[in-house]
Amino acid sequence: MTDGTLITLISLAVTVIFMLGVPVLLVIVYWVIGCSFVLGLTLDNLGNELLNVFNKGFALLAMPLFILTGDLINKSGIARRLSDFAYSCLGWLRGGLAMAAIGACGLFAAISGSNSATTATIGSMLHPEMVKGGYDERFSAATAAAGGTVGIIIPPSIIFIVYGFLMNLPISELFVAGIIPGILMVLGMMVTCFIVCSIHGWGILIKLSFMRVLKTAIGAWLGFFAIGLVLWGIYTGKFSPTEAAGVTVGFCIIVGLISYPLNKLMGTHAETPIEDKSISSMFVVEGFTALEIPSIVVRSAQITGILAPLIAVSVVMQQVLSTMGAQETIGNFVTSMGGYYPVLFTSMAMVFVAGMILESLPVTIILAPILAPIAASVGVDPIHFSVIFLVGASIGFITPPYGLNLYVASGVTGVPYFRLLPYSSLYLISLIAVWVLVALTPELALWLLPAR
Amino acid sequence: MSLLSDMGTIISTMTVGEVDFQAVNAFRSQAAWFVFGPITAIGAILVYYMYKMSPWLDRHLERSIVVYTYIVIAGIIFVGVLQRFLPFLPMQPAWSTTLPPMLFMVMAWFGCSFNVRLRTHLGFSEFRTKFSPKWQLAMLWLDAVLWFGFCVIVVTTTARVTANAVSNFMIVPGTNGLMQWWFIITVPIAFILMAGRVLENIIEDMGKYARGEPLVEQSVIGGDV
Repeated sequence: MTDGTLITLISLAVTVIFMLGVPVLLVIVYWVIGCSFVLGLTLDNLGNELLNVFNKGFALLAMPLFILTGDLINKSGIARRLSDFAYSCLGWLRGGLAMAAIGACGLFAAISGSNSATTATIGSMLHPEMVKGGYDERFSAATAAAGGTVGIIIPPSIIFIVYGFLMNLPISELFVAGIIPGILMVLGMMVTCFIVCSIHGWGILIKLSFMRVLKTAIGAWLGFFAIGLVLWGIYTGKFSPTEAAGVTVGFCIIVGLISYPLNKLMGTHAETPIEDKSISSMFVVEGFTALEIPSIVVRSAQITGILAPLIAVSVVMQQVLSTMGAQETIGNFVTSMGGYYPVLFTSMAMVFVAGMILESLPVTIILAPILAPIAASVGVDPIHFSVIFLVGASIGFITPPYGLNLYVASGVTGVPYFRLLPYSSLYLISLIAVWVLVALTPELALWLLPAR
Repeated sequence: MSLLSDMGTIISTMTVGEVDFQAVNAFRSQAAWFVFGPITAIGAILVYYMYKMSPWLDRHLERSIVVYTYIVIAGIIFVGVLQRFLPFLPMQPAWSTTLPPMLFMVMAWFGCSFNVRLRTHLGFSEFRTKFSPKWQLAMLWLDAVLWFGFCVIVVTTTARVTANAVSNFMIVPGTNGLMQWWFIITVPIAFILMAGRVLENIIEDMGKYARGEPLVEQSVIGGDV
């Protein structure tokens, strides 16, 4: 048998074990092991890379720290305040609470950098209220899943960090390039939400009140401050993305620890209706005690313990693919499509299909080093391509069969996975429309980068 | 050198703790597989009994390592930034950017083991949930065998990297005497603990099968941990 036949058989075998429910980490590992045997590569490379990916990469450290930020802003009560603000701004519209959930995802994403943290936090917080408010539970869960996709596009973003780390691009520029496309994704999903809710007549409308908006805006000031701190630090170059993540973690811990006794002193409860809360009490969030910190960190550690090994083995998989000459083969195929737009849309199609069957991190690690140089060779700006690529990868979070956000939303809301799909597909349409728009309009990604 | 003598060299090196050129070569040879394969298996059994004897360790060992490593990483980076901007604080130490990645490596693999126990590694379990209990148990055995094979490979290959780091006196950049191998050795240890978790899970699964309890349940990422 030729090497090509053996590698095809190995790929088929790992696809079968994937369908049988073997963890993705093992699926990739055994593909690497099988191909290494066929290509005559030593397994020592696997062991080396499982260490080197972490101990040689300060940039990658931003990932666990932004995941932790997400859990800290959730536990401190800042996330709740951001969602209250979004609801008071949008509650007067049909489907306002669902649109507020998407808006809150956008605001949450601007402090945290994780899609699953965004989906889990906003889903667990707003799903019960949406169901109470007359929304279909499937739609509510699908909203949390779709809203979480912006978690990795609006900066800070874990996947931009990985992309920048792999492609040697400035992560701060990638972050800035993600702002407008991220906002467009939020707006696109809100339009879908409005249409669906208008058709079904879902949601209870609340009056738009300036006082309520002002009060909730004051209540969310710590969230806005954190968003400003991250963006200012990265945009001005005062600190690297990893340091920005460390600073927001420190900020959230300090805020949580100071707020807890102050909140107790004021005697405010989280469940008190906003109308009954005084303006002064809105300045302080619920917070947490020092003893609670380990229990907050353990959730982040669990997510990091899933994603970090996946990144490490995906890097090794990418190396094996390079050795096999996959870069050249895929490169020839994509290049044969023709010029700028055919290459762009072929790349997008590949990212979309890969996103259906793989987690977005492996998709990025495996395909970005192959597709980015080809796109650059036909004149696509590397930063613009990164945004196109990653918007596509983020869409992969809600594409079946393997859509991570769908699993997370299903897990936190209790709505079975397959029942989410009809409504998540509606969001998929708006996200794909935004994706195509971003691909056709480089200015959307590059406008905020004055140096380019 | 023969396989047996290489195996002897590896074992004596690990016992004495001194790694010379001959030992590094022995670690690089095929003998390493014959030493670290059984070590992983025996380690897994010992870890299983350790957890059985101490439920506290069972619940807290990996969890505590990842949580406190996480906090230390965040603390070092946060304080490092403050030291750069606040003139009254001492200067940011050089190791503040080199030590956290080493700790991240520790956290990642102990976190991986933690998730093996919680069964929260990402997977497509839609078909598996529809299988009969007999087939579900077969799938769980498949998982266990694949995890164990992965553990053997990583324990062996990272033990080689550890031996190399010891023999080259590699230190963490920015420090005066912090040896890299003190961190690298945690990876094979994490994978031996992981092998123990794999054994623990499959024994638990067989018990559930015998009692007729559900075998495959939906795990929640970030759920009750």
